[in-house]
Amino acid sequence: MSAAPFTLDGFRRGLRDGLPLGLSIFAYGLGFGLVAAQAGFGIGRAVVTSAAIYSGSAQLAAVNLLQSGAATLTALFATILVINARYFLFGAALQPWLGQVSAPKAYGSLLLLGDANWMLTMRAIRAGEADRAYLAGTGTPMFVGWLAGTAIGAGAVTILPAPEALGFDLMLPAFAAAMTTAMTKARADLVPVAVGAAAALLIASVAGPSWAVIGAGLAGGAVAAATWRDRA
Amino acid sequence: MSDGFPTLLLVMAAAALICRMLGFVLMRFMPASPRIEAALRATPLSVMAGITALSLAQGGLAEALALGAVVGLTLLLGSDVAAALLGVAVVAVLRWVGV
Repeated sequence: MSAAPFTLDGFRRGLRDGLPLGLSIFAYGLGFGLVAAQAGFGIGRAVVTSAAIYSGSAQLAAVNLLQSGAATLTALFATILVINARYFLFGAALQPWLGQVSAPKAYGSLLLLGDANWMLTMRAIRAGEADRAYLAGTGTPMFVGWLAGTAIGAGAVTILPAPEALGFDLMLPAFAAAMTTAMTKARADLVPVAVGAAAALLIASVAGPSWAVIGAGLAGGAVAAATWRDRA
Repeated sequence: MSDGFPTLLLVMAAAALICRMLGFVLMRFMPASPRIEAALRATPLSVMAGITALSLAQGGLAEALALGAVVGLTLLLGSDVAAALLGVAVVAVLRWVGV
């Protein structure tokens, strides 16, 4: 295995690109912290939960389930597995690139994997980013923002504005729309765009939003694999 | 539920960890092929288009205008990060004025 670069420079590049995401995730961390505090989590438990799961949608679903009083360990496990199922795909898509560095570096970077920094990193890979530390760089401000937001939200003494009032709920879709636009360079790129959009809408209406994103990715990948032709 | 917090935490963390690691681990055993590469290259675009489409379907006029502005601004400015941040500002202003 050839050793791909994993340097402080690459980490810094990622850090710079991930900073705006860290800010918006901070606002969402505040929201989760407030919800967790209302569910009887103290600051410590809220922060530990955020560090261990590190996924806003999965954590909110888990807290809801625990509050319902009907939660079993199996239900809790299955809920998080289903909501985070898209991460299977994210990890698979990163493997050819991230698999070029040692296991501790690769798995350590995957601990910091989130929706937004996966998108940033996939775009950077396409643009020629060779430094594998870029992924951990983009993930660090997000992880720190998530934990800091959770802590402050759980211990909040003031009334905080809802993240929606500042538009932060649109941060991820806005990044997705911007990167889709930036990465669509050839007419052929419109195929995965159309397939992904159509699959997401169809699956969301049939099976709910937690399956829609992974369904979009699988459908786009399947169409690309099925229509691939050897041009040699 | 009678389980203590450490047990709950462990179960939740294990599920989250499996999601983060398993796709990467399984891909290592897949033989490299240009067909699989083509699939993995298409995946990010499909996921991002899917996220955008879901947001459009769930949102109202303000969200649609803001996401439309993001597409236009990305082409105009050549910076997707700047366009996304401006899109967030656009939706905040539109909601504030009551769109």
